[in-house]
Amino acid sequence: MIHLPFSKNRRYLTGIDWIVHAFDYMNKRATGAGNMSQIVLELDGAPPENELRQRLTRFIKKYPVVNGQPARDYNLAPYWKIPSQGQRPPLSFDISRLDNDAGREDVFARLARGVNAPFKSAREHLAFHLVYAGKKGFVAMTFDHRLFDARGAEAFLCMFQQEFEGNGESSAGISLVEPPHLCRWREKFRAGQQVNRAFLKLGEKAPPRILPIPSSLHDRGFSFKIIPFDKAQTAKIVDNAYDEAGYLLLMPYMLGVAVYVLHGIFTDRNICVGDYVISVSIDTRPQEKVRQEVFFNHLSFFLFLIQGHEADSFPALLSSIKRQLYSQVKSRLPQDIEEASALMRIAPLPILSHLMRLHLKGQIASFCFSYVGESAYTCPRFMTNKVCNIFHMPRVPVPPGLGVFFHQSHGKLNGVFSYTEGMLSDDEVNTMINRMESLLGV
Amino acid sequence: MDKRSVKEIEEILIREVAAILSVGPSTIVPDVPLHELGVDSLSFVELLVVIEKTFNLKLMETSLTKEDFQTIRSLASCISKMR
Repeated sequence: MIHLPFSKNRRYLTGIDWIVHAFDYMNKRATGAGNMSQIVLELDGAPPENELRQRLTRFIKKYPVVNGQPARDYNLAPYWKIPSQGQRPPLSFDISRLDNDAGREDVFARLARGVNAPFKSAREHLAFHLVYAGKKGFVAMTFDHRLFDARGAEAFLCMFQQEFEGNGESSAGISLVEPPHLCRWREKFRAGQQVNRAFLKLGEKAPPRILPIPSSLHDRGFSFKIIPFDKAQTAKIVDNAYDEAGYLLLMPYMLGVAVYVLHGIFTDRNICVGDYVISVSIDTRPQEKVRQEVFFNHLSFFLFLIQGHEADSFPALLSSIKRQLYSQVKSRLPQDIEEASALMRIAPLPILSHLMRLHLKGQIASFCFSYVGESAYTCPRFMTNKVCNIFHMPRVPVPPGLGVFFHQSHGKLNGVFSYTEGMLSDDEVNTMINRMESLLGV
Repeated sequence: MDKRSVKEIEEILIREVAAILSVGPSTIVPDVPLHELGVDSLSFVELLVVIEKTFNLKLMETSLTKEDFQTIRSLASCISKMR
């Protein structure tokens, strides 16, 4: 066996990382900004801005990986080039002060500007925002999905807090070592065959049902509609999920809810041709490994195909989703996608982004969905302020430019609709929320 | 078809849940609710697939009630009755 030399300035990218790079490429081409997301902590007060800025700067200095950039090795495997200390751009940190009577909607409108603004350089992958809104404070971290997945970003902020509280060295135990994955070719090609068959099946009646993306996206960003549920509402939703989908089946239940409410909008617009194809991202690392595997992407995908008539009835929809979920877990589709995607790393991003749209005639999905589960930000406080809630504001790959996401923090479920500006009207978004609340009985 | 006791089924389930969660079997307590052990939607479906392969029971098609599925102990008892 050939042992490749390990370099602390080089972290090989997995196939999934490379797919996320392709999403970033596609978003930059379509909207001018990459595949970014934002985690927002709602606090019972605002931390002092100078102290926050200084502490964040000191904390981030310990992680040169956050200022890396992609490159290709002599063996053609892509890797993340980690700069040495000293070549670091300054931390991007801005402050907004809203009126005392500003509500959450005003705050999220302000924060949407942050997540829609491109990073200032190829080496910048993080930006922080502090919003003062009356007695409340909001701290947001915009992050490049090439650097973190959602749970990794939460864990990173949690590490900052643990260090603030004096609970040890945050960087201990973090792994930045990834092999180039240039072996086990037979397994990779077998996995590729399975994934190709799954896509061919999805593409039988391609293209999927989609909402038209507004033309001239370059000066447009994403809009976000946050749907917070309190603890009592969350408990009711979980009970409903257990009754209607089955014990512990909250993820397929929430996917069913998302398809059902979006189907209403498609039907209202008389978009009835094709099936719904939904890509569902899932976290592939065990809970206790989130802290070790905080950087880069540790996820894979399920792919659901829902026929229009199935979406007319919620029980039929749930039944179809459960059947497909079971079948894909049994056939190990997410593991095959992880394995097979390593083969795609040979493709430059313009070619890969084209290949990814080949099976579905120029599309990737009708919309993206994710249920992150319990937040990896487990600290009750941020600096000295109580964390009241945690939200995500993810930009979605374009196409489809539409996503529905759920996650839980401190016993509260939060949802977010993310869509390219102008794709949905305010009336349509309100209709979707009303339908969702009515379906969930909250 | 072999007839395993509830205790044997329980031991198999403990091993499988531990493998799915990447933890040691000694950390799995059979009368603690699965969600408290860290089982979520995905790992629960993985467990149902293991049950089909091991006991030839397709539980995803049943009503998956909380009473029958909440703990490894109740699940073992349910599997024993269905075989």
